[in-house]
Amino acid sequence: MKLLPFLDRLAAGSAAPASAPRRALLQQAGRTALAALPLALGAAQPVAARAKATAYDAIAQLLQLERLQMTYYARALAITGLIPAAQVAGFQRLYDHQLQHVAFLQSALQNTGAIVPAVPAFDFSGRKNVPTNPVLFPNVLSNYDDFLALAQQLEDLGARLYNTYAFINTADAQFAKVLLRMLAVEAEHSAHVRGLRRGRGVAVKTWPSTTDAPIVRPAAAQALTAAASSGEDNITQLAAVGVPIVFSSFLNVFSLSFVPDVALAEAFDEPVVPNTAPPSPQPNQQATAQAALNLFS
Amino acid sequence: MSEHSFSPAWRAQPLGRRNFLRVSAASAATAALVATTGCGTDTPEPVKADPNLLVLPAGDPGLFYYAYTLALALFTTYDKIVASPPTDLTATEQAIISDMRHHQLAYRELIRYYIDPTVKMMLFPTSFAFNTTSFTLTTRAGALAAVQQLADLAAAAYPILLPLFSTASAYPRTLLVKALSVQARHAATIRDLRTPGSFADATVVDTATGLLRTKTPAEVTAELAPYFAPFVISVANLAVSV
Repeated sequence: MKLLPFLDRLAAGSAAPASAPRRALLQQAGRTALAALPLALGAAQPVAARAKATAYDAIAQLLQLERLQMTYYARALAITGLIPAAQVAGFQRLYDHQLQHVAFLQSALQNTGAIVPAVPAFDFSGRKNVPTNPVLFPNVLSNYDDFLALAQQLEDLGARLYNTYAFINTADAQFAKVLLRMLAVEAEHSAHVRGLRRGRGVAVKTWPSTTDAPIVRPAAAQALTAAASSGEDNITQLAAVGVPIVFSSFLNVFSLSFVPDVALAEAFDEPVVPNTAPPSPQPNQQATAQAALNLFS
Repeated sequence: MSEHSFSPAWRAQPLGRRNFLRVSAASAATAALVATTGCGTDTPEPVKADPNLLVLPAGDPGLFYYAYTLALALFTTYDKIVASPPTDLTATEQAIISDMRHHQLAYRELIRYYIDPTVKMMLFPTSFAFNTTSFTLTTRAGALAAVQQLADLAAAAYPILLPLFSTASAYPRTLLVKALSVQARHAATIRDLRTPGSFADATVVDTATGLLRTKTPAEVTAELAPYFAPFVISVANLAVSV
């Protein structure tokens, strides 16, 4: 059913679905839940013209993010000496996972007959391949600490983007499960990178915290900061439309369950735009994430 | 003539509660006869509810109770470590587990709030607890091993749990997704503390797909069963995992 055949093939280590006969793919596409989504509409209209992000938009954006991360690690691993020998295996694992996520998302699009976007020409300096543009992310592929800082932002952005799109297609629990499994892997990646930075003396926890030392970026790069980490100090969560959960009514010393605000904010990773009411995503979340991704191509 | 040959149809095997009631209603006279004559010591009695059997309800409430047992397990263990940390656990490691304790406390109480907004109603008896005595929480190695086992378990449970909620629970589900990624962060953090570089390794991520390995409510409950004894949690009523 749905994406299971693809997952089963991947699990069996056999050929990717791209090698399957075209007719079989189209037949499968006709059956999949994803095909039932407004993909044609999503692909035909510019994003800004629509009130709501479609599943196509979501998967295309996740694909761009995973490609960005994968390319970042591929280039870093190719530069001898940038990553200390002891950490190479870890970043190879990050690369491997991103590569697999890219393959999955591409297949999800292909299996529904949707167009797979072309791979952007990534430029991690933030100059968008124009040498005269200002450098927004200096030394990220020459200095290990700068490399780690951008890796953290990209992995945090990944966790937040999957958080945003986890239930893009609520009718398909199987697809939601796959997105949640990828979300968990992104979160483990982020925790690892954050742990490496802490090991190098940076004041940062392995979960986003108000006590983290901020990663300072120029004004022109704030779109990344906004999408990857803004609002992680949020302690207001919703019980229903416009109704906040009064945590203080049950997380307090009288019930022997006091949780400080710092820890309460840490306990919940946020989507790209914090505290957005369901159904997620909302259009501003997609735009916020895209602005961050656009810094790199 | 034995009792069994006399009424073989419903005495040959124990009856479930539903069958028992049906049989009783259909043959009240027979039952009354058996009762008054006092014969038939092997006559099925109504099965007494096992006070230690905690059958989680169907639907979203059962899912919340299931999530509660997980949060209770993690919080109880982290709380014990923070209360009396092993002497070889570094200050940094203690601070990390203290943070994790706070997060789990927030989850535990949030889930109680979802079960009942007054945070009073609870299916479980007051004596229901997570018993940590089989962990070795007095050494760094033992404490981190216990924390890793539980953090991995929670991370593996949530991707199965969350899609089971009905759309009526869209708000709780949205918030529990935010907890899911933090649970995964906990797992990676402890893994890297215990064995540097063991985050998201092949034991927890399927190397063929790059997806986190998951565990169903039945698998999770089975893993936690020894620690909840004498209580037995049944997740048979929970929605079937996709």
